[in-house]
Amino acid sequence: MIQNKQTTAVDDIAGFEKSVARQWLRSDARPAALVLLATVALIVSMKLVNSEFGSLNQLNAILITSIFLVVASFGQGLVILTGGIDLSIGVVMGIGGMIIAGMTRGSDDMLIYALPTALACCTAIGVINGIGVAVAKLPPFIMTLSSGTTFFGVGLALTAGSSQQAVAPALQQFMSGSWLGLPLPVWFLILFAVLATLVQNGTAGGRKLYAMGSSPGAARVLGLPTTMLTIAVYGASGLCAGIAGILLAGYSSSATLDMGNALLMPTIAAVVIGGARVTGGAGIYLGTLAGAFFLSTLSTVITIMSLSQGLRSVIQGGIIIGALLLQSSRSAQRR
Amino acid sequence: MMAQASPWYRRLGGGALPAILLLILMLGIYAAYEPSALTSFGISNLLNNAIVLALAATGLTIVVLTGEFDLSGAGVVAICNVMAATLSMGAPGSMGTLGLVLLAGLLVGAINAYLIAMLGLQSLAVTIGSLIVCQGIALIILPAPGGEVADAIISGVTGDLLGIPIAGIMFVALALAWTFLKNTRWGLAVYAVGADPVASRLSGLNVPTTKFIAFVLAGLCYGGAGFVYSAEIGSGDPRISDSFLLYMFAAVAIGGTSLVGGRGGVLGSLIGVGILTVMQKMLFAIGVAEFYTNIFNGLIMIAAIFFGQLSSLVARIALRRPA
Repeated sequence: MIQNKQTTAVDDIAGFEKSVARQWLRSDARPAALVLLATVALIVSMKLVNSEFGSLNQLNAILITSIFLVVASFGQGLVILTGGIDLSIGVVMGIGGMIIAGMTRGSDDMLIYALPTALACCTAIGVINGIGVAVAKLPPFIMTLSSGTTFFGVGLALTAGSSQQAVAPALQQFMSGSWLGLPLPVWFLILFAVLATLVQNGTAGGRKLYAMGSSPGAARVLGLPTTMLTIAVYGASGLCAGIAGILLAGYSSSATLDMGNALLMPTIAAVVIGGARVTGGAGIYLGTLAGAFFLSTLSTVITIMSLSQGLRSVIQGGIIIGALLLQSSRSAQRR
Repeated sequence: MMAQASPWYRRLGGGALPAILLLILMLGIYAAYEPSALTSFGISNLLNNAIVLALAATGLTIVVLTGEFDLSGAGVVAICNVMAATLSMGAPGSMGTLGLVLLAGLLVGAINAYLIAMLGLQSLAVTIGSLIVCQGIALIILPAPGGEVADAIISGVTGDLLGIPIAGIMFVALALAWTFLKNTRWGLAVYAVGADPVASRLSGLNVPTTKFIAFVLAGLCYGGAGFVYSAEIGSGDPRISDSFLLYMFAAVAIGGTSLVGGRGGVLGSLIGVGILTVMQKMLFAIGVAEFYTNIFNGLIMIAAIFFGQLSSLVARIALRRPA
């Protein structure tokens, strides 16, 4: 029956948008489609203004620079899904990159040890966040803000704040190489997006997170291991931030401790504009992915048009508030 | 229960007693390492260092008491700082700049207030949004650090009045203003709304208006903080340090204000500001490198909130016993 409605629906979307849209798209996928559409519109309108914009190389460049946001905001999305927030992502990215740069020192020999070390350290920071939130019952944003500051201090104490040597050449080659005509990072991005969608929306663990986010009390009554799930989610967020940091270090061929800070707020923006509810329990990874693409495109546009970097923040913040307004009006309609 | 007579230290705002002891301990250590600490110069220096955070933390405390969060403070301070650095030498003059800066704070506060109190959006997410917007606006007004703050502002804020540092007078004024506000109708409503919004609504309190006023007052406080900050550093910097936000929350938490609302007060936060400021001075005087203070900041924050929650748990158990 849904199939039939789908075919008839496509004809008159314009007329009955509100009633029909629910049938041809799952309601939680609508923001994703909307944001993706906005991204395409942004690229097309830029192409009209500036004909040099939108070459294949440039689109690839946009995709490659979006990879950090795509990876890091998966973790942020999982945390937000449970009703929390992770403000340590920027610092963890820096730490991940610094460990890689510090251990490999411009050669590939140590990379095999450096990768697991960096990822383990980043996951450990996430796990500490999770313990603080789940066991010590600290408010998530306080716990993550504090641990971020603390570990930034630790990083600063151990290093001088920036890596003295380049990262392993293999990592740099990975970020600039290509296979079958597509850049390697884009392959990675596709693989990551598929895996992330499967984990968040296709596994029992993912479903449990939704249950926990929409009603923590009910989840506990039902016997879900909420403490372990919370710790796992923050650990996953740390892991994702670590991966993003390693990729970022490979992309810029060196690392600084504060290189991830600029990406913290965009991870939140990507999740929120992707349709996730900030109080938890709603939102799909596809939305976050679309949000990350949109923000990355926007960033490129602002750079190309040499607009003030401040404008980027204004737009980003405005988008977050706009998305919240949109969500609240949607939920008001439903009532 | 509110009318019940309580010992004087309880009235300071819940868990403030350990905070006072900690402050005295740190002052003692600081004074032992730095003999000039307790001279009039040392004290006025300390007050000048603390007053920006004190103003900002006061605003945040009011919002937190109603059970909401506000992250926009750091952004408002940044906007007000670049405004003071670009305007004060020009036509508006120093008093005009003060007016405009406070107006900017009021405006951001009112926007937050409308979105959160009237439309019922989640405060954490909204104020993250307005924090990013404010930081962006600050970058647009002044893309790189620079500008100059009028001498009249600098000497007016960092100077003395009858031998008493202006910063000290502001501290006392903040404490007195809150002591007055706390006992007004609105002040009592703030505690009630923070403790139990549903019960407050059912007993006839106007919850949205109470929260609205709290956010607007907070914006005003942030504006004042931005103005004083400008006077302290004498120029404009669009990128105010990231840790300022953490300090604000740390001050509130150390001062014994419950982060879920309804318990605590501005006086506690002022003590929290004192602890954070003296702690940095103390660590510096002992010779601890600056990056270690980051670690201390993070840890003290976690510890403060953890013990704050512990003390509320103890209080709950103690309350249960006589009943």
